[in-house]
Amino acid sequence: MKDNPEQVEHIYREKTDKRILKKNPWRDYRLHGTVLILVVIAELIGTQKIPITEDVAITIMPLIYTIVLGLAFYLAKPITWIGRKQARIAEGAMMLFIGVLIAKLAVSSGQSIHLIFTMGPALILQEVGHLATILVLPIALFLGFKEEAIGMTNSIGREPNVAVVVDRYGFNSPESRGVFAIFIIGTVIGTIFISFLVTLSLSFLPLHPYAFAMASGVGSASMNAAAIGPTLAAFPGMESQIEAFAGFSNLLSFCVGIYIVIFIALPLTERMYRWLEPKIGKDSITKKEED
Amino acid sequence: MVELIDEPVDVSTHGVFNWILLLTIFSVITVIGNFIGYGHPLADSFIGMGILALITLIGVWLERKLPLDISSIIYISVIGIFIAFPGVPTSETVLYYVSKVELLSIVTVFLAYVGIGMGKSWDEFKALGWRAIIVTMLVIASTYFGSAIVAHIVLVMTGVPA
Repeated sequence: MKDNPEQVEHIYREKTDKRILKKNPWRDYRLHGTVLILVVIAELIGTQKIPITEDVAITIMPLIYTIVLGLAFYLAKPITWIGRKQARIAEGAMMLFIGVLIAKLAVSSGQSIHLIFTMGPALILQEVGHLATILVLPIALFLGFKEEAIGMTNSIGREPNVAVVVDRYGFNSPESRGVFAIFIIGTVIGTIFISFLVTLSLSFLPLHPYAFAMASGVGSASMNAAAIGPTLAAFPGMESQIEAFAGFSNLLSFCVGIYIVIFIALPLTERMYRWLEPKIGKDSITKKEED
Repeated sequence: MVELIDEPVDVSTHGVFNWILLLTIFSVITVIGNFIGYGHPLADSFIGMGILALITLIGVWLERKLPLDISSIIYISVIGIFIAFPGVPTSETVLYYVSKVELLSIVTVFLAYVGIGMGKSWDEFKALGWRAIIVTMLVIASTYFGSAIVAHIVLVMTGVPA
């Protein structure tokens, strides 16, 4: 049971490998040129603060401009030089570039290695906090999902979680359909959503700066990146500690998080589903989605 | 050469060459962004990116060459932590140059690729309906708050000053 999810992960890795090892992805000057232009535009605009009330402001950082503009460039009809081919290369290249991001976090972690000894308990226990996704199960049932809800709410639904669910329930099961839905929606809105979520939480929740840093390691490199941004901006002078905790926590999500899903989250979600579904389940809405 | 697509991928010299060129492009774009956004000197931050790119290259190469079933993320983290470890001879040089590259500069470039790459999922995304979107947002929010609140409670209980 432990080997199979990893095999599914490898299928994903091989798919991206094919894109960047067989073709010559560096030759796509349209893609890289566009990225350079997006980055220059984003850095020139810089961080903007939009005040909502007197002491609450939404911070919009350059990283939001590049992700939104990147998507807009792909979708915009007049921009013909960014198409499916460029998106495939970008996706493959992304898998390599995650490494650079992780390397930067690792260097900050190494520099602050003494912190892991004092903060060890918090770092490990916050991984258990990710189980809070199961609380969304009743809402998913209330909205009319059936077994899909198990796939949707057992975890944040990133690549390793998809692999675990597919392995357990089979590719064509409703549970897998649920986790795929979360995966796709998370891919499109997750990064932007978490950036706003973190910005607002920083203003409204009086939590420990390190707690915000640790929470940003949610198990997806791009969401992790988007969550660290506002946190770094909110606590100037604590950059290396915040980067270190985000790095440690992200690393833990990779090594420990997956086993929490397999051994705790999934069995717990199933049990809760069996208990709650007869009580609050609605008529299924998933037989051919609405409209 | 065209029909090789479904063969298992072998990391050839050509493949490593592709990785190196991609990482070089990524480094150049990041260094330019890092200069515009933060004013860090071009030469120093380019060396910093070179160090990070080299760690990445070794990590992804080890993942595919060693028979162990370990993700490149783990190799990269271990190498990165080790060379910056206080007391290790490389530590000071690495810290000096890598500190010239802001994490946010890397993230900004990385997310530009993510933005273009996720465009592919747009049609599937639109087909899923608003109910699934609500559930996804709640799932992301709960995982974030769950972990932040647990971390906060443990930090306060163990008496870590803010």
